[in-house]
Amino acid sequence: MSTIQASNVSDGTTTVGTSYVVNGSAKAWANINGTGTITARDSLNVSSLVDAATGGYNYNFTNNMDNTGFITTTSAFRDNDAYTGVFYNDQLTSQTSTRHYNRGTTTRADVDTVYIVVHGDLA
Amino acid sequence: MTQHLWDRLAEAKSRLKPVQSKYRVLFEDPREPDAPAKVLVPDPNWMACALAGGVLPPIETYQHDRSVPDGQPKEHPYAEPIGPLTEEQAVEYLVQKDIDPAVWRDYQGNRTILKIVPVELIPTDRSFRNAWRVVQ
Repeated sequence: MSTIQASNVSDGTTTVGTSYVVNGSAKAWANINGTGTITARDSLNVSSLVDAATGGYNYNFTNNMDNTGFITTTSAFRDNDAYTGVFYNDQLTSQTSTRHYNRGTTTRADVDTVYIVVHGDLA
Repeated sequence: MTQHLWDRLAEAKSRLKPVQSKYRVLFEDPREPDAPAKVLVPDPNWMACALAGGVLPPIETYQHDRSVPDGQPKEHPYAEPIGPLTEEQAVEYLVQKDIDPAVWRDYQGNRTILKIVPVELIPTDRSFRNAWRVVQ
């Protein structure tokens, strides 16, 4: 495997520091089905999912994050309708979690599609 | 120098076909006695890496890193990868990696709080999901 070492990346007109590219890349992502026996449709850097309760899913990282300052972006759907998804920060570097609710309520609901994307620093 | 774990994962994803495990891990957390049982589901891309070998670090590195403070260098991203595991070994590895030791190592009560089960034994009807417990 070859490694290109460079401080900047340029297309001839616009130049950007490679640190922007490295730091701005997603470090983990997943697309899961949260109904029935939950499963991952596809993912990167996720070792396992945990079905924690109705509308509650945890995602364990294979390569942990460096600190708990990372962020998770999530969205969710059920029956082609949007459901509220929130990132639940449990202060762990090895895991992120999402919780999903019926719209306009505090009642948790299972959703058939959850997307998560994680940004931050890797361990 | 050993390639970083994240780079190995990204490379393996382009090379290996995902493997859906036939096992699930059902467990209860003794620190949350009122919470329903949880179900751990191995990720298919991770399982492919475990079965192929040459990607995942030794389980001991994750256990060591539990005691390393945030922001300090961790062992697991730079450790030499282990060889191929069987599916059963891979699930045992996941139990030790992704479930708190309070469940699989330290619990001394009489209840069975962790079971590795075939996926067929996990209910698909989630009507009473928040009442699930590990059958004794």
